Amino acid sequence: MSGTNRSTPVASQLSGVLSSTSSGAIAILILVCVLATSQSSSFLSLDNGFNIASQMVFVLLLALGTTIVLITGGIDLSVGSVMGLTAGVVAYLVSQGLPLGVAMLAAVAVGALLGLVNGLIITKLGLPDFIATLAMLGVARGLLFLWTEGTPFIGYMSKPYYVIGGLERPFGYLTIPIMVAMVATFAVFAVLKYTAFGRHCYGVGSSSDAARRSGVRVPRIRVLAYVVSGLLAGVAGVLLAGQTTAVAPDLGSGYELQAIAAAIIGGAALSGGRGHALGAVMGTLILAATANAMNISGVSAVWQPVVVGFVLLLSVILDRLTEKQRGRSAHLPSAPAVATAH
Amino acid sequence: MSIRDRLARTAAVEGAAVTVAFIVMVVVFAVSSPFFLTGQNLHNLFVESVFTVLLAAGMTYVIIVGGIDLSVGSVLGLSAGMTLMTASKGAPLLVAILVGVATGLVVGLVNGLLIAHLGVNAFIVTLATLSIGGGALNVLTTRVELTGVDSTAFTNLSQGSVLGIPAPVLMTLAVVLLLEFVLIATPFGRRIFAAGINDSAAHLAGVNLRRLRLQVYVLSGVVAGFAGVLLAAHLNSVQPDLGTGFELTAIAAAVIGGVSLSGGQGSVWRAVVGAFFLTTLSQGLQLLGVDPTWFTIVTGVSIVAAIAFSRGTQWFASSLRPAAPRPSAPAAEAAEPTHAVNR
Repeated sequence: MSGTNRSTPVASQLSGVLSSTSSGAIAILILVCVLATSQSSSFLSLDNGFNIASQMVFVLLLALGTTIVLITGGIDLSVGSVMGLTAGVVAYLVSQGLPLGVAMLAAVAVGALLGLVNGLIITKLGLPDFIATLAMLGVARGLLFLWTEGTPFIGYMSKPYYVIGGLERPFGYLTIPIMVAMVATFAVFAVLKYTAFGRHCYGVGSSSDAARRSGVRVPRIRVLAYVVSGLLAGVAGVLLAGQTTAVAPDLGSGYELQAIAAAIIGGAALSGGRGHALGAVMGTLILAATANAMNISGVSAVWQPVVVGFVLLLSVILDRLTEKQRGRSAHLPSAPAVATAH
Repeated sequence: MSIRDRLARTAAVEGAAVTVAFIVMVVVFAVSSPFFLTGQNLHNLFVESVFTVLLAAGMTYVIIVGGIDLSVGSVLGLSAGMTLMTASKGAPLLVAILVGVATGLVVGLVNGLLIAHLGVNAFIVTLATLSIGGGALNVLTTRVELTGVDSTAFTNLSQGSVLGIPAPVLMTLAVVLLLEFVLIATPFGRRIFAAGINDSAAHLAGVNLRRLRLQVYVLSGVVAGFAGVLLAAHLNSVQPDLGTGFELTAIAAAVIGGVSLSGGQGSVWRAVVGAFFLTTLSQGLQLLGVDPTWFTIVTGVSIVAAIAFSRGTQWFASSLRPAAPRPSAPAAEAAEPTHAVNR
């Protein structure tokens, strides 16, 4: 509990983060690490650590955006498709002869624009978030299919793009995607914690009515949250196109559910008002570490969805049990979120 | 009563707009393709829509009570796989059906226990069981050869007919009618609305929320399991990714039909209209020779259009009658059940 330990500010801050990052998640992560290490000693090596880091970059970028949207009380199902479509934008524009920088900017802009469309449909037309972004999932996916005519975009790779995609490592272990993900995590962390927009997000998600009464322009905050989510999906798309070296029509399918799962394991709630950037990192890390551990210990690919499902269940169950325990001693199970909101 | 009043009253009926949109779509398809209204095509349309219809009908219960069930797509596929496996081993038809339905029951029970008794978020629990169920079917298809059952009793589940009406359509109709009846005419149904509108009020009124939620998820699982049985008989083969994406179609169908994701509102027949809307759309486009790659785009846009249209009609209805307060029919309906529970 963040309230009980006030000895040093750092310690109390850390314990605040840990208690809101859901202890279930931490327990699961430790369990996965122990099991994987007992199977293969290479799991805890530096090499494999960066392996996991580069595997989790894309889900992490999406999970960060998803976290912001979840905090405002929404949900964004379109991020996987938007990521795929923006990857297509880069690939196409580069193959049309545009400079890489321009193509990348255009792709990120497309991501933000699709987020804007999501936000406007939700706030102006009043459609449920689930449905509006589900429709966008279909539209973005369909557009990529139409555009690619069913065969992957190829032949857009260039020397700098190999570096941007993380396939070439000019700085040792640190690849560009990992650095971008770190910067994005830090940015989302800072925005949520230190800016008015961040506080408004928590306010809108906790009680949009109360937020509106205290002068927050609720629709604008919600639209902005979707724009940020789309923008991050665009960034992820740019990096992903560089890593896969080909943009398949179904690139990015299913990523949206992973991103939501990661955000929720990390302490975000679908009811809004809760969640933070480090939680998204934690949630993504658990999913990536589990997948990696299964590969290392030779678990057959057909079993992997089953195991991922069980890990997800286990982490929320543990979280729920500890929360119940905590609820007995203090009557404010969501205290960290409340504290962040004000 | 003036025409204006009549118009306002009709437009205010929840689900009226979607029904109108559905009819307009049917007319458009009928005009643009001579084959759309032929007996064979309608037969196909009905037979192929039963799966979405069943999932959407079960989903309606879950959504009204304020939850969500993402696992139904996997349950559909897994139950089809289990049914086909049992039937291909020569088990009697009834056993195969029971195995399929029981698969749904088990998944629904797991969902319900975790959501209702442990209080874990429904989205996450059912997302996990979606993953587990889909993975289990994948494993099943690598272990067992799942192709073709050579039994007329089994294929009759899909190809048989009574008085010219295909058997799966008849069975689905029976399930839908039963579900609608239970929802609107029994204390169980009233409790579902009460819990969806205000769970703490329902709790104070004596509703056992845990049991109610458990029952609703089990029901959704069982209905999805039954849909899987019909799907197994229809295809007589099972692919590893069977059922993928059906959960989102079922939810979209319910929402298009006006079932509110915030709970407490909706009816089975409206979800069924929504399901027909989606299946007719994709079948009509196919008939018009539209490139299948357009389907996801057209479906996405028409989901938004259908809901925006029905929102617009509601708004239009309330603007026609500024004197009377906006008719919130479901809320009024729901006030009664709360009393009924209270007695």
